[in-house]
Amino acid sequence: MTQTPLVHIENLSVEFPLGRKLLGKPPMLMAVNDVSMDIMPGQFYGLVGESGSGKTTLGLAILRAVPISSGKILFDDSEVSYDISNISQIDLKNYRKLAQLIFQDPYAALSPRMTVRDIIAEPLEVMGLTQNREETDEKVREIAAKCRLNLEHLRRFPHAFSGGQRQRISIARTLVCNPNFVVADESVAALDVSIQADILNLLQSLQDELGLTFMFISHDLSVVAHICDHVAVMYLGTLVESAPTRKLFDNPSHPYTKALLSAIPSLDPDDSGKAQKLEGEIPSPVNPPSGCRFHTRCPLAEDRCRNEVPLWRELSEGHSVACHFTQ
Amino acid sequence: MSILSVQNLDVLFNTDDGIITAVENVSFEIKEGEVLGLVGESGSGKSVTAKSLMQLNPSNTIYGEKSSILLKNDAEELDVLSMKSAKDLVVVRGGSISMIFQEPMASFAPAITIGNQMVEQLLIHTSLSKRESSELSVEMLERVGINEPGKRFFQYAFELSGGMRQRAMIAMALSTKPKVLIADEPTTALDVTIQAQVLDLMKDLVSEFGMAILFITHDLGVIAQVADRVSVMYLGRIVESGPVREVLNTPAHPYTKGLLNALPKLDALDDPLTPIPGDIPSPLERPSGCVFHTRCPEAIADRCDASIPSQTEFAHRHTASCFAIENVSEAT
Repeated sequence: MTQTPLVHIENLSVEFPLGRKLLGKPPMLMAVNDVSMDIMPGQFYGLVGESGSGKTTLGLAILRAVPISSGKILFDDSEVSYDISNISQIDLKNYRKLAQLIFQDPYAALSPRMTVRDIIAEPLEVMGLTQNREETDEKVREIAAKCRLNLEHLRRFPHAFSGGQRQRISIARTLVCNPNFVVADESVAALDVSIQADILNLLQSLQDELGLTFMFISHDLSVVAHICDHVAVMYLGTLVESAPTRKLFDNPSHPYTKALLSAIPSLDPDDSGKAQKLEGEIPSPVNPPSGCRFHTRCPLAEDRCRNEVPLWRELSEGHSVACHFTQ
Repeated sequence: MSILSVQNLDVLFNTDDGIITAVENVSFEIKEGEVLGLVGESGSGKSVTAKSLMQLNPSNTIYGEKSSILLKNDAEELDVLSMKSAKDLVVVRGGSISMIFQEPMASFAPAITIGNQMVEQLLIHTSLSKRESSELSVEMLERVGINEPGKRFFQYAFELSGGMRQRAMIAMALSTKPKVLIADEPTTALDVTIQAQVLDLMKDLVSEFGMAILFITHDLGVIAQVADRVSVMYLGRIVESGPVREVLNTPAHPYTKGLLNALPKLDALDDPLTPIPGDIPSPLERPSGCVFHTRCPEAIADRCDASIPSQTEFAHRHTASCFAIENVSEAT
């Protein structure tokens, strides 16, 4: 069975220049370094990592919201296919209807001067997807109902809503143009626990109902474990491990993944998880360590790790890791 | 013996929209060397409670008449709420009570070196000379695990990483040897691997310095790891408190149960997440009776919305305010 991936990424790198230099090249910040991955249609693909690991940049690169330095991104649903790394302006406009983004902070993402109806309708109007106001209104009402917003809500302004409701508005706006690929960047990080569960359940039911493919970016491993069916772990711009959720959590192979898992504070006061604590902090991406980027904090590091970049190897079906030591 | 005793604390804010109740009838005590965790979601009044201990709330704050905050400072007992001027409060603010804030970048002055900020507060609160203060500060920076403390002493907050800044904040808070340390979401802005380091450090420091800690967080996992006792707050009221094991393993109040059910757990990936229905009510539309009745699955009509349940001690030192629990303990 060979299924074509919806998003195929090959050796993708994203670099940002730091300031400008009069002569020669300015120093470059390697936000994403040589990343390859496949996202299958209908997948809930999780991307985890600490701040500065490049997970947001990777998400934005797929949406072509940051320039791509090298590598390839192919988008292919059954009807159209685009080469995102080399896309024309017209194709890019069409691509935007298919690939959308949900933001992190529902307080910053909604204009305080627009009613909820106008906020949700704006993508339709900008992209010219509807012919007249009646059609727009109908689409807005339809998606609002799916996101559990009622007609009364549509007339109000965002300030009248709580965090959870705002995130539902934000999701409705993302889905109104009927995309099939959605990047959700830390979409529950700003919400309280009791509301977070509600939004996660909503995303899951919307995926079933509308047949969406999600890339879910988060720093919270327990959230990712619950909602995603495949998880990729990033560290300092590189992928360190990628596996179906169950395999990753039952059998983490990369020392960084192991450390991340044991760093989550356990709900059981008697389980202090002291075994695997990491020393030190994430190094600067301007001047990343040589060889394996994790060697400065890795409990297993040897000379080889300092000199040689570990290869991306497949351990079992769908489970790949970049480490010299894992078998 | 308890160092800090808070009784019947009411905190109200006088705003343009009317008087808002932020904290209502909150009582707790903390002993020497004890960590009390205060958990709650945004708007539950946990930070307001903490700031009341030093009267750091804004000028439109009204404290209840029956409220009292008593603090043991060596031989004397300080009545914090009776202090009116900033001059009186110096003993408390940064002296017997220190505070670690959530966002370390926002709590250090950006244009003054870390060292100067640490020395400044030592000069105010202790009788040390400038030179002794500098030495103590460098020593404290080293104690919290900062490399090259002598160099960091002369650096500014922006030159330090997030984890390092929070360590410096802890060093600064502890250098005056406070009786009570308030930690307001001290690890929320940090990555998990750094959070684990900072939590370990704080646990070591409690046993070394033996002060009382009020640890505020929204993360029940963090509470499980650091606190001895925990109080759960919802809309300005403590709904349940008790030893951390009992509260997390056998939660009694429907809100505590709801919080635990809504939390994604790594060891139970197949269990569905159960959100608490509805949204947190706005403080302007505070529910009558039990504040949680609007979202409570066990609410009893005409009872929970009419009167406020009292704190019932149903197991040793484990209390909750809920009519459902009152009924059980009356029956037995």
